[in-house]
Amino acid sequence: MIAQELLGPAVLVLFVGLILGFAMLGRRWPAVFRPLHGLEALGAAIERAVEAGERVHLSLGTGSVTGADSAPAFAGLAMLSRVAAATAMSDRPVVVTAGDGAMAVLAQDTLRSAYDRARAQDRFQSTSGRMLAPTPFSYAAALPTVLANEDVSVHMLIGSFGSEVALAADFGERQRAFVLAGTDDIQSQALLYVTADHPLIGEEVFAGGAYLNVGPLHRASLRAEDLLRTLIVASILIGTVLRTLGDLV
Amino acid sequence: MRLRLSLLWAAVASVVGLLVLAGFFIQTPILIALGGSLVGLAVLLAGVALLLGLYNLLSVHLRKISLQERGWPYSALLVLSLLGTLVLGVFFGPDNPVALVLFNSFQLPAEASLMALLAVTLTLAGFRLISRRRDLLSFVFVGVALLVLLGTGPWPSGETSDTYLLIIDVRNWLAQVWAAGGARGILLGVALGAAATGLRVLLASDRPYGE
Repeated sequence: MIAQELLGPAVLVLFVGLILGFAMLGRRWPAVFRPLHGLEALGAAIERAVEAGERVHLSLGTGSVTGADSAPAFAGLAMLSRVAAATAMSDRPVVVTAGDGAMAVLAQDTLRSAYDRARAQDRFQSTSGRMLAPTPFSYAAALPTVLANEDVSVHMLIGSFGSEVALAADFGERQRAFVLAGTDDIQSQALLYVTADHPLIGEEVFAGGAYLNVGPLHRASLRAEDLLRTLIVASILIGTVLRTLGDLV
Repeated sequence: MRLRLSLLWAAVASVVGLLVLAGFFIQTPILIALGGSLVGLAVLLAGVALLLGLYNLLSVHLRKISLQERGWPYSALLVLSLLGTLVLGVFFGPDNPVALVLFNSFQLPAEASLMALLAVTLTLAGFRLISRRRDLLSFVFVGVALLVLLGTGPWPSGETSDTYLLIIDVRNWLAQVWAAGGARGILLGVALGAAATGLRVLLASDRPYGE
């Protein structure tokens, strides 16, 4: 019983240790990740948008900060800091929308910090981080107006979504925008596979920071995730074999 | 000074996060009470943030109205509706008859229509997928979706025919073996990604609260 109680904290301590270890090893042993077409094409799409004077839109989803589904939106905020820096010199900097007031406030804080770092404080506008609507479908209903009025050509959906994500991605496709979309909900991921040009499946939604070079800990945490996943898969396989052999004996 | 403040916010976020996490794993009354209070405070702040979000929504649309940007009449309608329902809700309560009529006559049908639109959108997107991404996985995806649809809906020839029973068996095998196994694998990755994201906030590597 005590061993079971200690298992959770032990895994977390191992996770933190692996992240810090890989962060220290990062310079001597650089990470090589598998190609993710959507995230690799994002940089070029943002460059095209900046040159054409068009807007990048990032949606943080319809989840709340206090909910259990806030993690993908935090991954979206990490990507936002990089995207904001990339569009800081544009006439039309990135616009962020969310379905939660607290998430919109966090988006504004992230934008302000990113523009401070890029020495482009004048680019910050409090209306660049917006709460669109408080319910999932009213949020989706409000998106076409934002996409059309702001001349959006890069439409990123990185956050917690339900089935409304299919409409949100489809509105971007109709606008002929570059649509990159990922969420934590497995059914919504299936919808995105059909509706988005560049869907992010599974943990790929959390890997954006590592692929966009947000910081060393992003790359380190992705390597730690990969190692832990390998350990878990190995444990499952060993357990299955042992159980099967135990049944046979 | 600014750097010190930034470090202070990072320290506060890390300590609060660690306390809540510790309360989850170590079941002592003090940690449970402290964790509960901190989560309660976060919910309270999220409530205040909703008001800030509404203020933000108003300021975006009032700006559009004042500059007469494209689609400003819709913004005017939104501001009027927002203020009208807010006044109704604040003074007469959210369950007063007028507010209920507004909800049942406008909000509910609009959201139900969007749900219906979803089915049409997905059907069109299925066709578009085949024309846009002609690879093996896309054909497998659409084929499996059709098979599951066939095995879920009623058949005009009745539900006792051999073909129908075969399709039901194949659908169950796909859903319970392949789809469930794949879904568990994906969920494993999502859980690890979510944990890593939370840990980066605790380690103050990610600072969504600003620097």
